Order: sequence, then structure tokens, then C-alpha cells
Amino acid sequence: MAQLNEMLDQIEHLPALPSSVIRVTEMLISGEPDLNEIEQIIRMDEALSMTILRYANSALYGRPGRIFDLRESLVRLGGKALMKIVLEQQASSLFLKAGSAYGLRRGAMWRGALGGALAADQIARTNNFADIDLCFLCGLLRDIGKIIMDLHFANDYLEVVEKHMQPDRSFVECERAAFGMDHAQIGGELALRWGLPERICNAIRFHHEPPEHEPDHDQLIDIVHAADIICLWAGLAIGHDGLQYKLATHVRDGLKLDRRTAEMDIAMTWCRLREIEESMEDALVQEQG
Amino acid sequence: MSSSPITYRGPEVANRITVGVADMQLSNDVDSALVTYALGSCIGVTIYDPIAKVGGMLHFMLPESKVNAEKAQSNPAMFADTGVPALFKQAYELGAKKSRLIVCAAGGAEVLADDGHFKVGKRNRTMLRKLFWKNNILLSADDTGGSISRTLMMTLSDGEISIRTKGKETKLWPN
Repeated sequence: MAQLNEMLDQIEHLPALPSSVIRVTEMLISGEPDLNEIEQIIRMDEALSMTILRYANSALYGRPGRIFDLRESLVRLGGKALMKIVLEQQASSLFLKAGSAYGLRRGAMWRGALGGALAADQIARTNNFADIDLCFLCGLLRDIGKIIMDLHFANDYLEVVEKHMQPDRSFVECERAAFGMDHAQIGGELALRWGLPERICNAIRFHHEPPEHEPDHDQLIDIVHAADIICLWAGLAIGHDGLQYKLATHVRDGLKLDRRTAEMDIAMTWCRLREIEESMEDALVQEQG
Repeated sequence: MSSSPITYRGPEVANRITVGVADMQLSNDVDSALVTYALGSCIGVTIYDPIAKVGGMLHFMLPESKVNAEKAQSNPAMFADTGVPALFKQAYELGAKKSRLIVCAAGGAEVLADDGHFKVGKRNRTMLRKLFWKNNILLSADDTGGSISRTLMMTLSDGEISIRTKGKETKLWPN
């Protein structure tokens, strides 16, 4: 832990979590979206306001009749969808340019983050898990530690980690052998510094190695863990680390994940991601037209 | 069959056509190259007719379309059993002949410690072989399995295929 903190202290400009994400996270935890406050958050940010209008007019959420008014868009989308859109869009600033240390092309890490959010949402629904939106958020933020690896090691990262890679060793084990810590631990620590609730920090920290025999076991961690693997199978955010991760047996069994459900989740995750991307593209074309 | 260990610089061409996940692209523009990035358990299939100079690349995600028949209809490239026939059909429409086609594949990797429960990569590989066997198609070269990420590239001027993994490129075809 000391080493982790030392590393975070060394980074001059740690990525900051937008305050809007923190506020929406609080709403998620309490379970009640406050539409007036969401409106305030959105009105303060012109780019976000445009995004909300696009979504309201997109194939994904839209109904016949175009709307140009923000308030009307907010009502059309509803509190739950708005919370997700705010999180999705505000978190994109963190991920969009990240991932170069892991060999990810620009935008790939963002697609992986959103894919993880959608996969976690899907698995949570299948399992009738109470905190679906929290799964979405944790799926979205699970790899924030990779951003720190990017900032700290830059282009030296691959050379160092490669010396410790072995065919049967999971990638987080390779990272620990190389650096004394892995990206999940760093992500958990960063989330703690951001002041996020412990449940979220733990879901990020353990998303590759969910603990098996915890007395107060939180299924949120298991869902985010499985969502990460579903994302890999959907071909999202695969970098130098390849598929060098394990799906924990107790999670597989606990979530009743078999071949059929996994393949359905893979297909669904990818399709929902494309729907979001296409909706945004269509809305942009309409605007420009 | 595995990729050649020769270090290779990769295609230097005027246009790079990107093939996304669950996507396929075909072209007869000899100044172009087809590229698909970061294949994991997905498989990239390339076909090339050296006479007609027609090439195609498919990046499919799952073996069987029955997992989501509706999506398979709107996006056949998502699955092997709908994507592979569509790839060949479109290549024929561009003037390719089956007897001349050079067919290669890459990807089909696995996550670690999958004790046979899922084996998404292996099921993708098996479905591909089954489809080729049924249709009398021979693979000229392939680089599949393991748990690595592969970027697959094909130049349309000569059908040369290279694979990049962790920043290093190797030539897959001609081998």
C-alpha cells in the first residue's frame, strides 16, 4: 500500500474525477435520481447539453417528432437514463486518450470502459441484482488504474512487464512481478483518493481477482469481474495484455454463467455498444444535415 | 501452422481500410490494405484472389448465429456461420473465383484457465474449420490460439498477410 501511495504521489497531475460524476454517483448510491440537480449539472456544460439533445433524438431513446429543447429532452430520457449518460460522457474525458502503455489505439480504452459498463448492467439484470446502475458505474471505471500506468511508465511499460510474462500467469500477476502492484490495485487506490464509496473502490480493486471466502461478500465485485471477461470476448479493449486473465470459478458458478448465457451476454454487450455509437453518429448526421 | 518468425515492416500503402469487430470489408483497390486490430478470441479471416486482385477480411466474434438470430440477420459478420458465407459471396461478386482463393485466419485466443466451460476461441476455430471442410476450402496459413492479441493486415496488391503482436510484426503469407 505504501508503494502504491508513493507512486500516486509522484504523479504531478493525477486525473480528476469530474464533480458531476461524483454527484451522480451519490444519486446512484441513494437510488433516487434528482432530475432538477441533473438538469443543473447538464446546463453547466454545453457539450453535455448537446449530447443530451442528441440522445433524446436518437434511435435508441427517440420517439417520433424531433425536439430541440433541453428540458423536454430531459423529460423524454428520464432520470435513470440521464444518470448513465452523464456518467458515460463525463468519464469519456478520462479514457479517450488513455491506454497507450497497454498498446490500445485511441478510443479503444473508452470502448472497453463503456463495454464493461454495459456488460455489468446486463449480468446484473440476468441475476436480479439490486444495484444495476452501480454495476454500470463500476464496469465503466474498473480500468482507471491503467491510466496511472500510462502516466507513470509511458513507453517503458511494455518492456518492463514483458520480462515477467509467462504463458500461464495472469496479467495482473505479471504486473505485480514487474512493478510490485497491478492496475486494479492502483485503480482502487485512485478511487479512494477521489472519495468514492468503499464498495466502488473494492469493485475496482478486485475486478480481476474477486475474493472467494469473504464473510460479507459483495456480488458487485463478481459482476464487474465477469463483465471484464465478457468484454474481452466481445473483442473490446484488447491490448498487449491480450486475454491473459482468468474468470474465477466461484464467480462463474455463482452467476450461473454457462456457455450459452456468456455468448448471449457477449452479443448483447457488443450490440448495445454499437447502438449507442450509431445513435450518436445518426444524431450528428441529422444535426449537420 | 504458425506465423513465420521473419521480422516484417508491414504494408506501406496509400489507403488502410479498417475492419471493425463484427465487420467485414472487401476491395479490389491495389493501393489499399485491409487491417483489423486486436483480435482476441475473435477470428480474422482473409481471402484473396491473386488474378482478380480481390481481397476480403472478416472479423467475427462468435461461432453460431443461433445465439441471436435477429442480430445475425442485421449483422452477419458477427458470427462465423453467417459471416464466412457472406465474405465469400461478396468476393465472388467482385470477380473472385473460388479455385484461386488464398484463405488465411488469425485469432481464436483463449482466456487463461478456461477448463472447457466456454472456450470461445476454440469454438470459433472449430466452426471455421467445419465450414471450410464442408465447402472444400483449404487454409493456406493460420496463426491461432494462445492468449495473445493479434492485429491482422493484408495488402491488396499482392495478398501478403502480416500479423502484429506486442509491436512485433511477422509475415503469415506467403510463408
